[in-house]
Amino acid sequence: MTRYLLRRLIALIPVLALVLVMVFSLVRFIPGDPAMTLLGPGATDAQIAALRAQMNLDQPLWQQFTSYVTGLVQGDFGQSLKSGKPVLEEILQRLPATLEISIAAVLLAIVVGIPLGVVSAARANSLPDHALRIVALMGVSMPAFLLALILQLIFSTWLNVLPVSGRISSYYFFDEVTGFMLIDAYLSGEKGAVLSALSHMMLPVCVLAAFLAATLSRFIRSSMLETLDEDFIRTAKAKGLSRHQVIYTHALRNSLLPAVTVVGLKFAEMLGGAILTETVFSWPGIGRYMFEAISNRDYPVIQGATLVFALMFMLVTVLVDLLYALLDPRVRRKLK
Amino acid sequence: MKLTRRKFALLGTTVLATSLLLGKSPAVAQENQTLVIAVPSDPVGIDPAVNRAEPIGSEIILNIFDTLVAWTPPSFAELEGRLAQSWVISADGKSFDFKLREGVKFTDGTAFNAEAVKFSLERTRALNPYVEATLGLIETIDVKGEFDLTITLSRPFPAFLSILAQPQSAIVSPSAVAALGEGFSAKPVGTGPFILRDFTESTRVVLDANPEYFRGAPKLSRLMYRIIPEASTRRLELESGGIDMIQQSGQLSAVPAEEMTAFANNLDIQILQSPSQIIRQLEFNNAATEGPYADIRVRQAIAHAIDYDGLLSGIFGGTADRVYGPLTSNSWAYDPAVEALAPKYDPAKAKALLAEADIDPATLSTKLYGFQGALWGAVATFVQANLADIGINVEIAQTEFPSLRALQTAGEFQLLLDGRQPWYNDPDAHITIGYLSSLRDTAMTFRMPADEQRDALILSAQGEADVTKRRELYQEIQRDIVSYVPGAYLFSPKLIIFARANVQGLVVNSAPPLNEYWSVYKG
Repeated sequence: MTRYLLRRLIALIPVLALVLVMVFSLVRFIPGDPAMTLLGPGATDAQIAALRAQMNLDQPLWQQFTSYVTGLVQGDFGQSLKSGKPVLEEILQRLPATLEISIAAVLLAIVVGIPLGVVSAARANSLPDHALRIVALMGVSMPAFLLALILQLIFSTWLNVLPVSGRISSYYFFDEVTGFMLIDAYLSGEKGAVLSALSHMMLPVCVLAAFLAATLSRFIRSSMLETLDEDFIRTAKAKGLSRHQVIYTHALRNSLLPAVTVVGLKFAEMLGGAILTETVFSWPGIGRYMFEAISNRDYPVIQGATLVFALMFMLVTVLVDLLYALLDPRVRRKLK
Repeated sequence: MKLTRRKFALLGTTVLATSLLLGKSPAVAQENQTLVIAVPSDPVGIDPAVNRAEPIGSEIILNIFDTLVAWTPPSFAELEGRLAQSWVISADGKSFDFKLREGVKFTDGTAFNAEAVKFSLERTRALNPYVEATLGLIETIDVKGEFDLTITLSRPFPAFLSILAQPQSAIVSPSAVAALGEGFSAKPVGTGPFILRDFTESTRVVLDANPEYFRGAPKLSRLMYRIIPEASTRRLELESGGIDMIQQSGQLSAVPAEEMTAFANNLDIQILQSPSQIIRQLEFNNAATEGPYADIRVRQAIAHAIDYDGLLSGIFGGTADRVYGPLTSNSWAYDPAVEALAPKYDPAKAKALLAEADIDPATLSTKLYGFQGALWGAVATFVQANLADIGINVEIAQTEFPSLRALQTAGEFQLLLDGRQPWYNDPDAHITIGYLSSLRDTAMTFRMPADEQRDALILSAQGEADVTKRRELYQEIQRDIVSYVPGAYLFSPKLIIFARANVQGLVVNSAPPLNEYWSVYKG
């Protein structure tokens, strides 16, 4: 098992290297001069030249790349061109906000997506099945920002029950301890702070979860339908098990395993969705940080944030592999 | 397993119920004392020594610091003393004697005096390359007493007082700088009406009232800037009352007419408008001495092709004003004579001018460069249609800001939609940078060709100490420039602020568009 884990981790290195090279070179094909963007319209040419030199932009590409990688190895992600602060520090400051909604979204997607898939499969081609499939199709195909806007309109503007954006009401004021707003709100002891944080989380979490939940329910449905056709299901039915036992104990358990892979794979797409979701809800996480960095040509930040996204995705992939080994006796046996 | 299903149902109901019960965050004390302003991005440089006229940081500076002088609301046409009680300018326009206000304290308890002024201006001049052309003119600062000092310039520069009203010239607490070193930029200390309490990146900037403020404590107890990058989110927040005010974002964007109509029908929201000194124009590459656009008749023809009033009513719905030349009509040096000189909408005359120049309009086809965004797209399409009417077909190329700026400074265009925003309240900010030929390859200029007479006029206006003579010089320059037709002056966008109906007491500053919140309150 340890050897397997080690092997998986080593296999990540070339992937990571590829990500680095791609991000580094891609970013340089975008038109525009970062020094000029930073200094704004009033800057003189001398100021622009000076800033270019200060940012090493006047050096050859390969030199910019090697100094970047050397720095990375030493934990130096470079400095944000916009704020002048270390990128790693800025990323770590924003990571909790992204983790907070991503974790909540994965949980919500599982809690909602799997039961919906089961219902759909158990009553295949019935009215509820068709309805659920249409909803799922919408969830899969609707862009995150559109869903976000629709939810904001309904729940914030029309019903006026949920806040439009942000992590907590503007009128609360307490210090950050963990960076997780829910925990900090609880620790602050301020009356109503936890509720305020919760209500602010609700819409962004729903938007993030929608895609994953829809994918998951579609996947569970088809995988369940396949399983329900298998011989052992007929055997189970034949030996007189109730419909519920057949569906939940036999069919669902066997269909869940590949669902782990789906959750893992789609997690990456969800992080992509976080870029837009966080921007629309002005949620101060890495997604929005990246969005702003792209519009500011903040090279070190784009590189750093992409790297963190890639790392998160790779970690989830390894986690999925490990879960597989834990859950599936056949995989476990193969490893031995 | 049946239980699980019930649990799921229960969970769903709970989620729905909580969301309905929670409602919006419960109102906490002070709601009426806190003003929440939405801005699109983090402030950059809330320290005079690092600020490069980035608008959000600049506005925050003006609310936590004071300057020696400031523009007097509501017209913002005259300067009043802030930390300076009075001043005398020498006859040669080179030295400024200031008598400072006594009894003022920085929010860290340090006493304000002449040494603090000298320290602040010298610090900014040494650290901030942005003020090289302005505070860089300071030769000496002589402290003549606890509250008396004289600033001497290397050459006459009458706009200097205007520069002293800028955020970069704000007065900082010398003892706070000594104690914090570079950390001062994160924890700036001034004498202003507000004190920086917290700046969480991508989230908010919180300013608390300074109860000891020398003009009297502000009416609000807290000012909060919320950083909301999405325009649609800002709008929804304002509509649902999550924020109190939206600032017009950035220097290049304006508010589309549809948005205005939507807000105008909402009784909870008020729209504050004020004319600006911003100018938007269709400009030629004036540095090119060859090619069709070097012929003044071609430039005139294009300027006659634009339906200026149609542009204002059709696209801006009253959110922009006419502009006829290099200065807006609210500038003290504005010359109304340019209105008669400026080319008027007259497609027939435009065609006649092209025929007279013996130029086939089809040969003038080119790219029309412009900024990105829906509003600029609409302006570009309008201009494109106007030009098509006289037979010139242009292809619209909306270009990202850095690339557009690069094209402009390199002169790689024939027609370009551009803008000029003066960052201090003086005609010099438009005229010198925009039209002095030696600056033509730098940003935001009209790329004017060398012209000894015009250049000499601009420089003498910049240095003239006598206000009446200075105004005459600038009027002569305006007439000269308008006759040259360096472009078609399209419009001047108004400064627009959307606020909740209960926000009172805000006076919109016109140039630069930086507001003070000392007098603001929520009714």
